[in-house]
Amino acid sequence: MAAAVPIDRECEVVVLGGGFSGLSAARALARRGVDVVVLEARDRVGGRSWTESVGGLRLDRGGQWIGPTQTRLQSLADELGVATFPTHTAGEAVELRDGVRHTYAGLIPTFDAPAAADAVEAILDLDLAALEVPTHAPWEAADAGRLDGTTLAGWMDDHLGSPVARDLLSVAVRGVFGAEPEELSLLFTLFYLHAGGGLSNLVRTTGGAQERRFVGGSQQLANGMADEIGDRVVLGSPVEVVRFDSDRDCGVTVTARRPGDGSWSVRAERAVLAVPPVIASRLDWVPHRPALRDQLAMRMPMGTVTKVHALYDRPFWRHDGLNGQLVADAGPLSSTFDDSPVDGGRGVLVGFVAGRDCRRFERDGLAGVKAVLEQLGRAFGPRAAEPLELGVQRWSEEAYTGGGPVALAVPGALSTLGPALREPVGPVHWAGTETATEWCGYLEGALQSGERAAAEVLDALGARS
Amino acid sequence: MATAEELAEAFADWRERSNGNPRLKKMVRGWDRVIHFVLADGGEGFTMEVRDGQLSELVPGQVGTPDVVVTGSSEDFCDMFWGDLNPSEKYMSGEITLAGSQADVMRIDAISMVAFLDR
Repeated sequence: MAAAVPIDRECEVVVLGGGFSGLSAARALARRGVDVVVLEARDRVGGRSWTESVGGLRLDRGGQWIGPTQTRLQSLADELGVATFPTHTAGEAVELRDGVRHTYAGLIPTFDAPAAADAVEAILDLDLAALEVPTHAPWEAADAGRLDGTTLAGWMDDHLGSPVARDLLSVAVRGVFGAEPEELSLLFTLFYLHAGGGLSNLVRTTGGAQERRFVGGSQQLANGMADEIGDRVVLGSPVEVVRFDSDRDCGVTVTARRPGDGSWSVRAERAVLAVPPVIASRLDWVPHRPALRDQLAMRMPMGTVTKVHALYDRPFWRHDGLNGQLVADAGPLSSTFDDSPVDGGRGVLVGFVAGRDCRRFERDGLAGVKAVLEQLGRAFGPRAAEPLELGVQRWSEEAYTGGGPVALAVPGALSTLGPALREPVGPVHWAGTETATEWCGYLEGALQSGERAAAEVLDALGARS
Repeated sequence: MATAEELAEAFADWRERSNGNPRLKKMVRGWDRVIHFVLADGGEGFTMEVRDGQLSELVPGQVGTPDVVVTGSSEDFCDMFWGDLNPSEKYMSGEITLAGSQADVMRIDAISMVAFLDR
């Protein structure tokens, strides 16, 4: 039996994590009259959505786009009066391949047309296979064991003859997962693609995952949800211990650092853990860990991604007939997008350093930053190498996220431990975009997971009364 | 605006190239579908069938129940059939739209891109 701890606050449900998933769960519960407390480790809400003012602009250091079929995210924006606008796409994109610059139009670099055709065929094969993997239970897919015993790289060995086509697909995968094809279970990859409408959808601007942005940044949506929940959202209060006794229905007690100093304990009937799997595993669990969930979390590392913003006095690339998009086979940047404000009054390029390139970037220190500037110059001309400011957001350094954009599953994880992803353990329920069945890894998925966790908790509370 | 004759001529060229392309034959294997082309700039659309790994000839008008509806301007269709236009540009700008099941839309999107790339 767990030792008694002094209780500072009692409530019906305690939510760990004030990102999109935790706030979505808490808001749904609060709207049903449930007494809920949200403990957020950081001094802000939003989690992997984080908008900051840089040089008078609101820049998203984390998740920033909204695409078609992301209906929860759109409803939330509508409700809060946050407008969206299309990602700038007019003009040609730039490809850097083997140190040579090409421009192209459309979805995929066309310089090596047969290789591009190879890549398009492979993406179709992957996307059609993904539709066969059930998003609510990938482990129930036909042949789940074999698919989960293969990496995406293994699949590419069998399906892609040309090294250029392989490169094209690897760049796309690097951007989407923050990981290399060698790191990804094929079963997990297919699940993820199905949840987001296919790789062809995830790499797209217009018509896809990067279609629109929020005027003023995505974090406003988290702030809006938190405002509704009010002072029951406690910032600066990282949870350290979760206590529950699964043999007795006596709720859950979490002990967190108190804003400022010391610690406090919140006791609730139910808890929602709205954090990445690896972050849940870093907590102390008393008297024992949620074993299968913890084991699964050990097989779900965070991706590796750093987001870079380069600020200019204006989006000069537009006048050169370019849309600000870059695809590069060698780092540091594997992709960029035009991230200028809606009025186009200033120029901003947002770039992603991901997977292999990000690991190298972290080792290279200042030389890595210099390489980013050189690469921008090669892609968009000498002016691009001299931004007014360069912002670098390293998600792997974030104590309460651990990487980005999402946790991935290594081979063998989902087929052996998958059901533990969402299965409640005693009074503990699981949210977080990793637990979503629609748009896993995206803001939309976070909202869906929070709503699902809230529904589970309401069921459980209803059964009690 | 392209005339029906111009469209038919361009399509015949596209069809010949597509039916002779081993990669495209593989990509439409087992995918028997009815595709309607709707002209956004007016005029009678047309129907194409994919059957047994081959594209049919173009039939004027909207014939049968479509699995996929492709909507665009006659000029863009002409350019696309001649291989002068990357269809993914037009999908991304929304000037050509595809409607149908997710799998069918994915397939026609990829097929038309490969037809452009793999000339």
